[in-house]
Amino acid sequence: MSVAAEISARKAPWWLKRHETLLAIILVLALIGLGAFNERFLTPDNLLNQGRLMTEIGLISLPMTFVIITGGIDLSVGAIVGLCAIMLGYSWKNFGFPLPLAIVFSLFVGALAGFVNGLVITRVKVPPLIMTIATLALYRGLAEGVSQAHSVRGYPEWFYFLGQGSILGVPTQLLILIVLMVVSGVVLDRTTFGRTLYAIGANETAARFSALNVDRAKLIIYTLSGLASGLAAFVLVSRVTTTRMDMGLGYELDVIAAVVLGGASIFGGSGTIWGTAIGLAMIQLLKNGLALTGVKGDATIVVIGAALILSVLVASSLQRRRD
Amino acid sequence: MSATAFAGAASARTGGLRRFASQEALLAVAVISLAVVVGAINPRFLAYRNVADILLGNAYIAIAAIGMSMVIISGNIDISVGSLIGVLATISGSLAVAGAPTFVSWLVPLILGVAVMAAQGAVVAYLRIPSIVVTLGMLSILKGGLISVTGGRWITDLPQSFHLADLNVVGLPMPVVIMVLATALAAIWMRYSPRGRATYATGGNAEAARLCGVDPQRTVVMVFAIHGLFAGIATLVYATQLRVIQSNTPAGLELTVITASVVGGVSILGGVGTVVGSTLAAILIAEITSALVFINVSPYWTDALRGGLILATVIADILRRQRRAAREWKK
Amino acid sequence: MKARYLPTTVAAFALTTWATGASAAGKWDGADDLPTNPLACGAGEAAAPAAAKPYDGGRPTNPPNKAGKEITLVDVPKLIGIGYFNATTKGMQDAAKELGDVKVTTDGPTEAKIDEQIKFIDNYITRGVDGVLFAANDPVAIAPVLKKALSKGIHIVGYDANSTPDAREWFVNQAEFNGIGKAMMDSMAKEIGEDGAFGIVTSTFTTPNQARWIAEMQAYTEKCHPKMKWLETVEAQEDNNLSFNQATTLINKYGDKLKGLFGMTSVATPASAEAVTKAGLCGKVAVVGLATPNAMKPYLKTDCVKSVVLWNPIDLGYAAVYVMRATVDGKLKPGSTSVEAGKLGKLNVVNGSEILLGPPFIYTKENIDKFNF
Repeated sequence: MSVAAEISARKAPWWLKRHETLLAIILVLALIGLGAFNERFLTPDNLLNQGRLMTEIGLISLPMTFVIITGGIDLSVGAIVGLCAIMLGYSWKNFGFPLPLAIVFSLFVGALAGFVNGLVITRVKVPPLIMTIATLALYRGLAEGVSQAHSVRGYPEWFYFLGQGSILGVPTQLLILIVLMVVSGVVLDRTTFGRTLYAIGANETAARFSALNVDRAKLIIYTLSGLASGLAAFVLVSRVTTTRMDMGLGYELDVIAAVVLGGASIFGGSGTIWGTAIGLAMIQLLKNGLALTGVKGDATIVVIGAALILSVLVASSLQRRRD
Repeated sequence: MSATAFAGAASARTGGLRRFASQEALLAVAVISLAVVVGAINPRFLAYRNVADILLGNAYIAIAAIGMSMVIISGNIDISVGSLIGVLATISGSLAVAGAPTFVSWLVPLILGVAVMAAQGAVVAYLRIPSIVVTLGMLSILKGGLISVTGGRWITDLPQSFHLADLNVVGLPMPVVIMVLATALAAIWMRYSPRGRATYATGGNAEAARLCGVDPQRTVVMVFAIHGLFAGIATLVYATQLRVIQSNTPAGLELTVITASVVGGVSILGGVGTVVGSTLAAILIAEITSALVFINVSPYWTDALRGGLILATVIADILRRQRRAAREWKK
Repeated sequence: MKARYLPTTVAAFALTTWATGASAAGKWDGADDLPTNPLACGAGEAAAPAAAKPYDGGRPTNPPNKAGKEITLVDVPKLIGIGYFNATTKGMQDAAKELGDVKVTTDGPTEAKIDEQIKFIDNYITRGVDGVLFAANDPVAIAPVLKKALSKGIHIVGYDANSTPDAREWFVNQAEFNGIGKAMMDSMAKEIGEDGAFGIVTSTFTTPNQARWIAEMQAYTEKCHPKMKWLETVEAQEDNNLSFNQATTLINKYGDKLKGLFGMTSVATPASAEAVTKAGLCGKVAVVGLATPNAMKPYLKTDCVKSVVLWNPIDLGYAAVYVMRATVDGKLKPGSTSVEAGKLGKLNVVNGSEILLGPPFIYTKENIDKFNF
């Protein structure tokens, strides 16, 4: 069904049929509404700062979009963030690596963790949800075991540039996120690799019979998922100046919320990076806007939950009507 | 595509009997051999008291995993179950403290559990919103709503009659009895009733199921409603075991429950799995947690080991299935 | 079929970690490599008075002069929705009502996550408040956002869990870590004797306060109760049922050897008491721990638990608001040695920029009914 919807959406001349467009409209309306309540909300300062705060989730949501498009899922991302943060801090402080090498090493560990997920998923054919639910426990446990629950602190000043610095007034990490977002968007939209992902999600057996290298594509996206989690760990450690084994706890649900809000179908076959970007911005700005308007944290969570259901409901029912 | 669905539906009835049996057998072997190994290292592990405590303390997870397995078999998932259990426990405890008759404070969480889950099921089935979106949203709503309303105030001074989990039935503790009964009834229902088989069919291929005369939408609502009932029963065991109800949502409970289901052999793609497997898996995971303390694993490494063992079980199960499939193919 | 070897690999990995793990237990150092500082043995509260340290807190940049004027504060605890922080919130509201010119709202994450807490504080900086009260989930990670607040002229006072000193002005210290360590160990020694063996149920090994308390307990045990045997420490998050299960596991594992259980959180202590009750070992296994009174009343009444160590969290919140008011008014400034805190009287400044609430309080059967939180 989702395939049919996807195809008809692509054929349809009317732009309004796209889930992303509808979401973008909802987002703009929400922004204007919240902006009217509080003059501190729609300021460049606040918006850029929100961009800084959402970068970690944003980075992971890019490969997660890929993964979900293929009909898979990666629940271990939060645990990989914790593991990579620990690897960064520990290889620097305890193994005596120079800090730049430690950064590379932790990114490597992230990619490796993702690669292991991908390997078992493609070779042993363990369903992604099961594999990553098991590695979620495993990777978080490794982070605790390696670090013996210790935090690492006292990084040199230059290390904080990524997480706390700005280039031309824009938070450093936000620039990276935007660049990677554009790259991922182009890859998904314009390359054979991107098309392969949609084909896998739409019908994996058919994709195999079409001589697409399904396993290689899957291996790549799970590795990317681990790598992005490693990068998110680097950004996070740099932003908060410390390394803890419980970093990234619960990120998986935040990331998945952004991706599915952005219109990716959890059954595979549909979804875009642009949709994910809008979903991401929507959750972050809604939380921020509500907080600035005086809504407390617990009530904000309720609103976010309702907004998640309602916006997907509105977008999909409008879409169905147009079809 | 439709062939797999029929195979799935059919195997639930007859052909799969052996396959399922051995799937559960693997978990049973794991449960027993772990007990033997750990018991050899530290005999106290096998003391009646400890075995009973492991089952007692984790029965609510196994019970919740039964409903979760059904939901997953129907091709859906529920992330809100942990929050729901937290909310139902609070409501139940508040009623008991407010002086409601005991049976009312036991009955209300069951009814509300069914109502909330059936509503979610209806949104999933009739409004065609993926279950992960609906239940993720509901998780936030329940969690935030609970704290907004209660402020996290603990419920204390529960009346003694409220403590269902303290009762014994023919010498066996109530939570264990409930767990066994719930598993047995659910297993029989899933295997032999038309509606139970409809669940497998829906998860295998909703379109094919519809063509066979199963109403997949109604089936999904029904499965969610039953899941809500089991969540309510799990709440009773969970809430009545201790003297205090925390009035918050137990962190990560949804993942524990889902883990039990998938380790139990329920395929996330829908259509395959049994509830006996999920109960055995819940027991296995609880056993591992306890065993790691008994064999003096450094507490820093327990989580990694538990993760590794869960992974090993899952991989072993899948390899075994593949080897069997290959062998049958040769025949 | 490479995949066939996977389970073997995982099992080998498991064995290796077990081997390395088993040897790694031992010294507790609070997860932050800071030195421990055990108090003197026996009765007598006063340790050698610490040498007066110069003020080491931070200063807000050009704060607006609000002396005597109404101020709006926000309180961001580690998490909302647990008994302990409900009590500190109540204390804050009490103080605000008494003072009349202070408005304070409590808002924070629903789980004790540092990155969530940072977002909350950040939002309140943007929204504009006169002061922020906080209890940190991580002393270092919270520092950048607090410094940002200081740079915008917002006053910062911490309570319960500190940040690095230069990221806030004052910290209201409920009880010094070594004071808790001593109170806990002395209570336990009194109940199970100098050669008793005990286990500990804590939240996680990374929780800053709990990790430090355990480190101080160990240091104090080595110094003052050298014959007591430290059996095992287990993690149980802040989860009632998990704490109960873990306590039960310890009881079953050690049998007669286990004479006492420590609960390190207000969740773990009642759950441990329940585990002892359920095992029918009241009077045989002592439970000592940090807890809030209401949850402990049933166990004190049945004599299953003799003493509960805790400061009064209502007083802690109350003091934090008074300290903030005094800071804004300029009455509490670098160099001050004490501060007036309403009904609590005069509180002393210690360690440069900390205000000490007083020695930890010990609840017993006799006095517990006076408290309701």
